[in-house]
Amino acid sequence: MSVTTRALGDALASIVGPAGASDAPAARRAAAVDGREPQIVVRPRTLDEAARIVALAHDERLAVVPRGSGTALALGIPIERVDLVLDLAGLDAIVEHNPEDMTATVQAGVTAGALAARLAAHRQTLPLDPPGWSGRTLGGIAATAASGPLRARYGTMRDLLLGVRFVQADGVLTWGGARVVKSVTGYDVPKLLVGSLGTLAVLGELTLRLHPLPESEATCLVAVRSVDAAQELAALIVDSTLQPNRVELLDGAALAASGLPPAAAAVVVSFGSVAPAVRAQQAAIAAAADRMHARAETMGPGFWRTYDRMLAGTGTTRLAVSTLAARVAATLDEARAALSGAGGVVMTGCASLGLLRVAVGQGEPGLLATAIERLRAFVAADEGSVVIERGAPALRTRVDPWGAVPAPSLALMRALKQQFDPERTLNPGRFVGRI
Amino acid sequence: MALSADVVSELERILGAGELVLTAEGRMVYECDMHTFYKGAPDAVALPSRAEQVQAIVRLCRAARVPIVPRGSGTGLIGGAMAPQGGVMVSLNRMASILEVDLPNRCATVQPGLINLWLSNAVRERGWFFAPDPSSQMVSSIGGNVSTNAGGPHCLKYGITTNHVLGLEVVTGSGDLVRLGGKTVDHPGYDLTGIAVGSEGTFGLVTAVTVRLTHLPEAVKTVLAAFRTVVEASETVSAIIASGMIPAALEMLDEAIITAINAGTGAGYPEGAGAVLLIELDGPRAEVEAQGDRAAALCRETGALSVSVARDETERALLWKGRKEAAGAVGRLTAAYLLQDAVVPRSKLPQIMREIVAIGARYGLLIANVFHAGDGNLHPMICYDDRVPDELERAMAANEELLRACIALGGSVTGEHGNGLDKCKNLPLQYADADLNFMYRIRGVFDPDRIMNPGKLLPSHPACGEGFRPQRPVLPAGTWV
Repeated sequence: MSVTTRALGDALASIVGPAGASDAPAARRAAAVDGREPQIVVRPRTLDEAARIVALAHDERLAVVPRGSGTALALGIPIERVDLVLDLAGLDAIVEHNPEDMTATVQAGVTAGALAARLAAHRQTLPLDPPGWSGRTLGGIAATAASGPLRARYGTMRDLLLGVRFVQADGVLTWGGARVVKSVTGYDVPKLLVGSLGTLAVLGELTLRLHPLPESEATCLVAVRSVDAAQELAALIVDSTLQPNRVELLDGAALAASGLPPAAAAVVVSFGSVAPAVRAQQAAIAAAADRMHARAETMGPGFWRTYDRMLAGTGTTRLAVSTLAARVAATLDEARAALSGAGGVVMTGCASLGLLRVAVGQGEPGLLATAIERLRAFVAADEGSVVIERGAPALRTRVDPWGAVPAPSLALMRALKQQFDPERTLNPGRFVGRI
Repeated sequence: MALSADVVSELERILGAGELVLTAEGRMVYECDMHTFYKGAPDAVALPSRAEQVQAIVRLCRAARVPIVPRGSGTGLIGGAMAPQGGVMVSLNRMASILEVDLPNRCATVQPGLINLWLSNAVRERGWFFAPDPSSQMVSSIGGNVSTNAGGPHCLKYGITTNHVLGLEVVTGSGDLVRLGGKTVDHPGYDLTGIAVGSEGTFGLVTAVTVRLTHLPEAVKTVLAAFRTVVEASETVSAIIASGMIPAALEMLDEAIITAINAGTGAGYPEGAGAVLLIELDGPRAEVEAQGDRAAALCRETGALSVSVARDETERALLWKGRKEAAGAVGRLTAAYLLQDAVVPRSKLPQIMREIVAIGARYGLLIANVFHAGDGNLHPMICYDDRVPDELERAMAANEELLRACIALGGSVTGEHGNGLDKCKNLPLQYADADLNFMYRIRGVFDPDRIMNPGKLLPSHPACGEGFRPQRPVLPAGTWV
C-alpha cells in the first residue's frame, strides 16, 4: 500500500507540484472526514489541475471529497470511503467583476467575505449569509445550498448562480448556464448543481448575479409574548406592502444566546432601501407592534454580525426544518416538546419562508434520533423536511440526516448519479439515499 | 409517421369520445406555434383532462415508440409546440383549473393549461399577483411558461418563471407520475424542479404547478424619457443601474419602432426621438418616489429630449401604450420579420446597438428594436418582404450574424423565448461539446427512450448522441499503481 501511495503521490505532485500534495500524517489527520483519513490531500492551483486530479482519481477508483472551508463536513450520511481530499481553497481568484452588469465570476475557493470586501467598494453585494458566511467558500455555499436570514428577500444561491464551470466525475471540464443575468439557453444546469453536495461534479468557477448594497438599512426587534404572536407578526409583514430584507423569528433561548433582553420570542426584521423608505417601513413595524401591545426597538448596526456569530457558534447538532410559514409556531412547539430531554436548544428561523434552525447543545444520539423522527412525522403532512445540517457521526449513522425522499424522486436522483458518476468517485454515500 | 390502428384505438379508450383529434383539418390547427416558419402536424391531438390520462398516453406512446409533443396555448415563439416528426400532441388546455390558493403560505397550485393572467386576476383583490409576466400573459398558459422558463418586462426585479416555481407534478418520459418540490421551500436531494423548469417538454408533461405568489407593491412609478440616439439611451440605462436601483422594468424602443407607433395612434413621443426609455419602479412608496425622481434626473443629465413622469394610473397606461403596441406597430413597417431573443451584458448595449445598425445597413434591411434594456435582453425584429427574391435569405443571414455578435460580447442565445426548433441549432455557439453532451445525458435520465418533444432544445450534433466521449484531461505518463 505504501508503494501505491508513494506512486500516487508522485503522480499527483506532477500535476500540482510537490507542495500541492501531502500524505503527511498531520495533513491527513486534519483532513479527516467523519473520522476517515484520506490517503492524500491535494490542493490544485488552477481549475485545469483540479480536472486532472479528478480524472486520475476516477481512473484509480479513488473516492474524492471536494473541500472548501470545511464548514459543512458534518453534513450528510457518514461517508463510505475517503481516499483523496480535494482542497479547493487555493482556487481563490476573483476572476472578473463587472460592476455595470452586476455580475462577478469567482473561483470556487473564494470566500463570501473576500468577495464582499471586493464588491463593497462598488456598493454591490452577493446577498447570501448562511451562518458563518464570511469565512465560507462560495463553492461550498453553492454545493450545500446554504442560506441565511437574507434569503427572505433575495432567495438562495439557486436564484443567484448564473453560470458554473465544473469538473465531471471523470475529469471532463464542463460549463453550464450563462455569463449574463438572463438566459434560458439549453437546460438550467446551475440549478442541478446547487445543493448537490459535490456528488455530481466538483464546482470550479461560479458566475454570480449581484445586487446593489442598500443605501440605508435599519433593523427592528419586536419582543412578543409567545411564538404564536411572533408568527402572527411575521404573517402581517408578509401580507403587506413592506419589503423586508430579513424576517427572523427568535425563541427565548435565541434571544438569550444573542445577549438580548429576555422574552418568550421576538421577530427581528430589517429593511434596506433609500433612507425615507427605511424610516417609513420602520414606522409601519412600530405601528404593527403597537397593535399587538408590543414595542419595536431599533437595533444597532452590528446586530446582524452578532446574530451571525450566534448562529454559527450555537449547537453541536443543528437541524434545518422546512415547513409552511403558517405552521412555523406549531412546528417550533413540536420541536421543543420533542427535544425536552436535550440541553441548550436554541431556535431561530426565517419566518416568512417557513424555515426553522434548531440548534441543540447536548443530547445523546438515541434521544436526538427519536426527536428528529417525531419532528419529521409532524412536518410530513405539509411535505416538509428535517435535515441534520451538523451532527455527530453516531447520530448521522443512527438516523438518516436527510430523511426519506419520495421513491419516484429518489429514483430520478439515483439515475442522475448513475449517469454522471457511475464509479461513485465523488463523495460516495453522503447524499440522499446514500447516493 | 402514421399511428397504428392499435395506438389510435387505445388513445380513444384512454381519452373517451371527442377528446382525440384525428382529422386532417383538425390536426392542421396544431401544426405550428407563433413561429409559423416551422410546420409539422401531429398524427393525433389528445385533449386530456386528468393527470392519469396523461400518464396513460405517455406509457402507451413509450411502448409504441411514438413521439409526444406537449402544447399549451401555442403562443411560443421558437417552434416548440409543433410536431416535426408527427406523433401524438398532448394539448393541456383543458386542464386549466386553479387547484388551490394558499395565501398564508404565499402560493397557489394550478393546472398547466391555466392562462397566466387568470391566476393574478384570481388573487389581485386580496393583494397578490403571479410575478412572471410574458407579453403573451393574456393568452399563454402557466404550463407553457414553465416549459420555456418564460420572462417578461418585469423580470428585471422579480426574476423569471423558475424563481417562482415551488413544485411540479410531471409525467416523465418513462411514464412515471412524479411530484417534485412542493409548497415548502426546501426539499432534500437534487433540485429536480429547478432542472425541469425550462426543459421545454423534453423531460415529460407537467400536470400541475405550485407557484409562489408575490404581494402587490405599495406604489408604482413610471418614467418615460426620449433620447436622440439609442446609444444615449443605453448609457442612461447603465447610469440608472449604477445608481443602485433595480427598476421593476426598464424597456427601450428604437427609432424604427417610434416611427411606426407615431404613424399609428401615436403615443406622444417627441419629434426627432431616436430612442425611448420606459422606466418603471415599484415597491414601498417612499422608495419609488425617491428612485423615480433620481431616474428622471439621470435621464435629464444624460441629455434626454423629454422626460414624463406618470402621476396616476391613467398616465401610466398612456406611457405604456407605445410599448404595448410596439409589436403590432411593426406591422406598419413590414409584412414579415424575424425575431431575435439574444442577450448581451448590459454594459455592451451601446456596442451591440451600433452593431445592429451596421448589420442592417450591410444587408439592406430595416431592423427594429423594442427590448428589455435592463437585463440586456434584445428583441431585434429583422424586417423583410417575402415577395422580394432572396430577402428572406438575407434576413436569415443578418439574424445569424447578429446572434454571433451577441455571443462574441459574452451574451446568450436566448433570454426568455426558449430554444425549441428555432434556436437549438445555435447552442454550439455558446456551449462546447462537453457542455452539450452533459445536457444530452440529463435529458436521457428523464426520458430514456427520447420520445418527448424530439428534435427540440438540443441540436443535432455529435455531442448530442449516444457513444460520444468528451475530451478528458491529459494525465501524467506512466503507471503508478
